Amino acid sequence: MTHLAPQLLAADIGLAAYITVMMLISMAVAFAVANIVLSLIIGPRRTGQVKAMTYESGMEPVGTARKRFNVRFYIIAMTFLLFDVEVIFLYPWAVTYANIDPSSAYQPVFLGRVLFFMLTTVVAYLYGYRKGVFRFD
Amino acid sequence: MMSLLAAMSAGPDVPPMIAKLSIIVPEIVMFVGTCVVLMLGLSKTSTIRRASVGAAGLALIIAGIAAATGPQGVADSLLPHVMPYAKVLIAAVGFILLLLLTGTVDREVEAEADAGKPFDVLRANRAEFYAFFMFSLTGLMLCASADDLIWLFLALELTSLPTYVMVSISTARSRSQEAGVKYFFLGAFSAAMLLMGFTFIYGATGYTQLFGYHSIASVIGAQGSLGPIATLGFVMAIVGLCFKIAAVPMHFYTPDVYQGAAAGVSAMLAFVPKTAGFLGLMLLTSAVGWGLGGGYGLPSELRLLLWVVAALTMTFGNVLALMQRSVKRILAYSSIAHSGYMLVGIIAGPGAWGAGAPGNGLGAVLFYLMSYGVMNVGAFAVVASLEKQSGGEAEDVDDLRGLCKTHPLLGWIMVISSVTMLGLPFAIGFLGKFYLFTAGLRAGEVALIVVMGLNSAIAAFYYLRLAGAPLLEHRDEHEASLVVTAFNSRKLAGLISAVGVLALLPFADRLATLSDHAASYGASSEAAQASASQAEHVDARSVTDH
Repeated sequence: MTHLAPQLLAADIGLAAYITVMMLISMAVAFAVANIVLSLIIGPRRTGQVKAMTYESGMEPVGTARKRFNVRFYIIAMTFLLFDVEVIFLYPWAVTYANIDPSSAYQPVFLGRVLFFMLTTVVAYLYGYRKGVFRFD
Repeated sequence: MMSLLAAMSAGPDVPPMIAKLSIIVPEIVMFVGTCVVLMLGLSKTSTIRRASVGAAGLALIIAGIAAATGPQGVADSLLPHVMPYAKVLIAAVGFILLLLLTGTVDREVEAEADAGKPFDVLRANRAEFYAFFMFSLTGLMLCASADDLIWLFLALELTSLPTYVMVSISTARSRSQEAGVKYFFLGAFSAAMLLMGFTFIYGATGYTQLFGYHSIASVIGAQGSLGPIATLGFVMAIVGLCFKIAAVPMHFYTPDVYQGAAAGVSAMLAFVPKTAGFLGLMLLTSAVGWGLGGGYGLPSELRLLLWVVAALTMTFGNVLALMQRSVKRILAYSSIAHSGYMLVGIIAGPGAWGAGAPGNGLGAVLFYLMSYGVMNVGAFAVVASLEKQSGGEAEDVDDLRGLCKTHPLLGWIMVISSVTMLGLPFAIGFLGKFYLFTAGLRAGEVALIVVMGLNSAIAAFYYLRLAGAPLLEHRDEHEASLVVTAFNSRKLAGLISAVGVLALLPFADRLATLSDHAASYGASSEAAQASASQAEHVDARSVTDH
């Protein structure tokens, strides 16, 4: 890493290296501004009590905060977390696995490990299925 | 698969990652077993649901055999032989605990299913309960394999997290929920403390590996002293581990949690997190070496900390146990006191290199863990087997009166178990204490041994009360009689424990040799060779680099 640092710090690269980042940022800003401007120009104008409320089509913002809501939200969130975290673990694995010498002894071990890891998720999925997590009635 | 892995690990050019896989074969077996238990426990058929317990037992047996026949030592470790001993012990005690845990959850759900109603999957807890039990034991085995701070932390958490849930779902009483919440929050607090300590250790040394050429042990060995940041780290880590072993600054949860949980779960809590904590303590203290503080002891700061913790733990545990009426609370405080005794072994350390069987403090700790694991189950099995006619466990000491007459088997289990825990001769508990005494004396910790002796005398009061109530006292005529549980395996667990403490006595010498070998400190010859060749390799490489 030490031979990279001076290059990154050097001024002669200039801002040209950041052109893609700049493009991404300006696209993001332009997208937001364009949406607001477009809806101002071509959007229909209707007002009313419900329309003026925060979270127009979401939760009720007025009333008691101690409202009970379905436990299914938690279960869905937990199940989502399971698969979400698994995908996060797969990324570094995929990057490392692509760089392993196919003839080295690490290769089958790495593959076996990730398959074992996937197996645990399958077990978790089967468990959730049997417990009725995915039953939306 | 095992032989394949063994063959792979035997070769000289095997990458360390594959060699490491061969030492966690028991854990892999346990994990696969856990998945099977989880699936079987949710089956629609009642017979298959019941078979899930059998699957758990089978996984424990296979894991125990795999540990006994697997690799006997690890390269690059200062405690190279602790792993097989600890894993076989965990599998064996785990099996007895499994017998004791039968019928803890799902009695209503199963009764309804037997009566012809459809099986209510959502309300049933059996699959989770046994799976969590197995997960916890898997984590405990991983603690024994740990050679790295991150691994150790994850293993300790895998041991603890399932127990929080098990406490909460073990009974339907609100007391169990309360115990679960208390246990969880204090456990999270202690885990944060432990992790903070590990962070400081890493910050001070730059390594997370405990042993080897590039490791915490090598850095601290080269420095010759701990230094302030590493000291802070080790102090915080030890305090965090005190929660697991229920030692004094972190012991407050113990009686409430043991009382709130079902008796089988309490028996498990007395063995599983305690063993995890002591394995963690052994690894951490071994990493700072036994030669830093002069002689063969720990660095003076850590020795002082552990000394104070040990003395306070024994005294608090025993004195507070005197004031209890509930058998489970007495056993909880006695569990605290036993942790105090075992800390003496940690302070004494392995002694001079090559010291004989009675001089190795770490070996004494391993032996004590074994004897405590066996004798502790008996007392809890009696509580788990007795129920009041009004429902609930018969956990008051007065409920035990005259038990030797009314229920001779349970009564005698209680007598034998409490007399063993007291440390009377002719049972395995005495030898455990004897080895700790000897190790402490060899290390010159006379004051601590005096405290321990005094505490053993205090402990006699409540242990003799536990033994005397069933044996000598009589039950009042007008008192409602107790109901013995329908789960015979619980009685079997108690019987195994009571017979075990007596039957292991002829083999105590052999067991002591085994535990001493398991705790042998310093790299084994093959491990030393491996690390030496690695060191040469690294040196050669660094020479060519420059």
